[in-house]
Formats: sequence, structure tokens, C-alpha cells
Amino acid sequence: MTDVTIVGMLMGNLPSIIGIIIGGLCIAVGVHFVPVGGAPAAMAQATGIGTGTVQLAAGSGLTGLLAAGYMYMTLSAAGTPGITEIVLICATGAVGAMIMISVTMLVGNWVYIYGVGVPPASAKKDYDPITGDSQAPYVAAGTVGQGLPTVCFVCGTIGGFLGGLGGSLIYCMLMWVNGDPAISSIFAIGVFLVNAVLPSYNIQGTIEGFHDPKFKRVPKAILACFIASLLYGIIAVTIPGIAMLTGGS
Amino acid sequence: MDPAMGMGLVALMGAAATVAGCSEDLESDIGSQSNPNSQVQLAAQVGYPHRIFNKAISGEPPSNAMYCAVGAGVAMVLMSESVMSASPLIAIAIGAFVAALLNGVFSTTSYLGRNASQTRFNQYVYLDVLRNQILSLMGHAYITTFCIVLISYVMWNQNLIGHPFPFPVIALIWGLCVGAIGSSTGDVHYGAEREFQDFKFGSGLNAADSGNITRFAEAGVRSSMDNAWFCSKFGGPATGIAFGMVVFLDNWRSTAFSGWTAVVVGVVIVLVLVIYNRKVETYARKKYGPFPEYAGDIEA
Repeated sequence: MTDVTIVGMLMGNLPSIIGIIIGGLCIAVGVHFVPVGGAPAAMAQATGIGTGTVQLAAGSGLTGLLAAGYMYMTLSAAGTPGITEIVLICATGAVGAMIMISVTMLVGNWVYIYGVGVPPASAKKDYDPITGDSQAPYVAAGTVGQGLPTVCFVCGTIGGFLGGLGGSLIYCMLMWVNGDPAISSIFAIGVFLVNAVLPSYNIQGTIEGFHDPKFKRVPKAILACFIASLLYGIIAVTIPGIAMLTGGS
Repeated sequence: MDPAMGMGLVALMGAAATVAGCSEDLESDIGSQSNPNSQVQLAAQVGYPHRIFNKAISGEPPSNAMYCAVGAGVAMVLMSESVMSASPLIAIAIGAFVAALLNGVFSTTSYLGRNASQTRFNQYVYLDVLRNQILSLMGHAYITTFCIVLISYVMWNQNLIGHPFPFPVIALIWGLCVGAIGSSTGDVHYGAEREFQDFKFGSGLNAADSGNITRFAEAGVRSSMDNAWFCSKFGGPATGIAFGMVVFLDNWRSTAFSGWTAVVVGVVIVLVLVIYNRKVETYARKKYGPFPEYAGDIEA
């Protein structure tokens, strides 16, 4: 009897599970856009932001989640948000994440330029795909670039957009399931981290954006994150549901 | 909420965030946490033993998220009516103190463990280094946690902003954010400039020189306090500005505008930042010019 009810619960919440999967895939693709250089970038030996993939993606995406959570509360005053409201909430989260990552990249470039005295450049391409500026003459000897040239900056904003969008969408879907901001926010953080960690195996420490050869590995991350998000979606739907089945509130 | 009150709160949060960002970066510089730690760790192994504090507890975002969530959790319990209904300011101060103690425990075990494991490279455990720097690490961690828990309290309090997330979760997210920003901005000043001051300014750091960190200060052997002094001139304040800008801009657009207007304003802010970044990049390329060693394309 209980099994049937769980299956029914999963079928009833199918749109939420699909939403969680879409959100997870957005995060997975977004992480590949974030230009991170890891430890070498912190020593100006690699192009990108001098921190870890997951940490920056999570930092920006979850900042967007805060904005999205507040917007959800404001809009839900007039009833459960529908698709139109969800689009606005996701846009708010995406823009919040974009602001965080853009400010971080800009100030990071200040430090590279004024504090370390090196111009932003990448050794992955001879010319910046967006501005057409030559890169190789500006790469310090014995390094693979430093700082954030325009192409990396733009990729970073796209990564922030996708990360914030995915995180907000997952939060909205979880709110549809259980209606509790506390449970939904903690679950959303969990889904976010899972989908940010899995693609980092593709990235292996450094990636610069869509022009990086590692970007071609995106399909593998999409498959892995699809499976992980599906599993997570099922768990996220059943955990609050089981409490209701067993008599809890 | 009254718009003037809303803007006042946003300004307060921006100011607190600026202080938090600055102290977070200086704390990581004193302790050599995060990515620059790789060089401190490597130095002894390649023949350069040193007296720099070494505490890679974890990446900065998770560790700061933990301190801030602990601080907010303690503050929330103390404020609860069933415990002692403490005033928010006292509760936040005690919460930040507990988080600073946690920082002290992690820093001590990390320093002792890491340096003890490097004895074979003549890297010893210096008890005076531990004694002198542990309190300044905890002090900076206290300031960071206090400011972030304060921001989170302003967001969470139902009479102020009234964010729906639980108090510790908001603090966790802001802690993660400040760690990510500190690790991305201020740490570069420490890792790429201060750790390698023997090399000519702007020459870049050849990967072959990894681990050859600067071990002698303006006077005597360099300590982590000297690093904090140097980084407080640029890296720390830059991190503060970054985190302050994030908190201020994100909250300002959602307080002053609503609905799609707030989204459009956010997009405009991002576009302005992209254009400004391009200006800064062009300035640097013109000012510094190509590297003199350049002799043909470098294979990626």
C-alpha cells in the first residue's frame, strides 16, 4: 500500500523532479563556463580566478539563491507561484549570481593588474575570441597566462547566470513539493554542490570557458549530473512525503 | 518597510560586508590558507624551510561557511526565548567568539600537524610562531564572523528584511560567498606578489620557481604578521570592496526596485562591469606592453 502511495507521490510530483533535473543540468554546464585557475592562478601562473571550481560556482550560485528565496517569498504572498512567477524568481537568482561573479572577477583583475603588475592574458588561444586581441606576447614566461581577459570574463558571467538559474529553479521545485523554505534551501544547497562537484572531475583544476579544450567534455558531465539529479529529485520528493505518510506533519 | 529604512539597512550591510571581506582575507594571509598555501607547503620540500604559518584547514569558502553557521547557530540559540532571550548584539558577539575558538582549534592542529609531518625537510614546529599568530588569526576570524552573522541577522529578522531562510543557512551562504571572494581576489596579492617579492615586479612567476618563497623580511626573518601588514595595503581592502559591492549591489537592486525592474537593473550592472573590465584590461596591455622574453607562440 505504502509502495503504491510512494509511486503515486513521485508521479504527482513529476514536474518538480523534471525541474530539479533541468536545474542540475544548468549548474553542470554553468560550472564549465566559470574560468577557474585553481592554485596556479593564485600565483599568476594560469588564466582564471585563483580559486576552486566548486567553491566559486557555489559562492555565486548560492548568493543568487538568497535573492531567489526572498523573491519567492514576496511573490508567494498572492498564492503558490506559477510558471510566470518561477521565471521571474529564476531570473532574479541568475542575475544575483552574475553580479557576485562579475564583481569577483573585476576585483580579481584589479589585483592582477595593480597588485601583481601583469596584464590579463591566456595561452589557450592566440587571439581573444571576443576582442581579437593577441594573447601570446602578454603571457609571462613559464606560465599559461594570468588574470581574466575579456573572453574569460564573459564566460564567467554566463557561468554565474546558469548556476544562479539552476539553483533558483531547484529551490522553486522543492518549494512546490514541501513548501518549507528551511528544508528547500538546505536541499537546494545539497543539489547545487552535487552538480558542481561532478563536473569538476572534467575540469581537473583549471578551465577558462567555452574556448578551452576541456569544454568539449560537457556531454559527460551532463550525463553524470542527469543521473545524480534524477536520484536527488526522487529523494527530495520522497523525504518530506514519507513524513506525511507516516503521520508526521 | 519604509524605503529610507530599507536603504539604511542595505548601507549597513554593505559596510559590515566590507569589514568582513577585509578581515577574512587578512586572516587567510596570516594563516596561509587556501591556494597560496601550496607554495608554503612546497617551500620546505624544495629546500626552503621557513617561519610562515601554515594552516590549510580546507578551502576558504567551506571553513568560513562553517564559522559563520556556527556563530549564527549559537546566536540563534541564545536569542531564543526558551534559553535566555539574549539581546541580539550580545548573542552575535558570543556566537562569533565561539566561531573564533573553533578557528583557534583548527589552526593549532593544522599548524602542528603539517609542520610535524615535514620534519624530514628541516621544517620544524616553532612554538613562538604558533603563540604569536594564533590570537591574531582568531581575532580576524572573530571580526569576519561577527560582521557576517550581523548581516545575516538583519536579513533574517522578521521586523527588518524578513528573509525566509533559517538564520544559520543565510550565514552559511554569506560565509561561503566571502570565502570564495577572498580566495579569488585578496589571496592573489599574497600568493602571486608577497610570497615572491624577490622576483621583479610584473615579471610573472615561472612555474619552475614554485616553492622558492621569500623568507626574509624588511628586517630579519619574515613572519606571517609581516605578510598581513603588506596585504592590508591592497589585497585585504580589495577583498572588502568586492564583498561589500556584492552585498550592497545585490540587496540595493532588490530593495530599491521590484519584479522585472530589479532584474533589468541587475543586468545593467553586470554589463557596466563587463565594459569596465575591458577598459582595465586595455589599460594594462598598453601600460605594461608585451613581455620582453616573448619569442613566438607558447604552446598551451
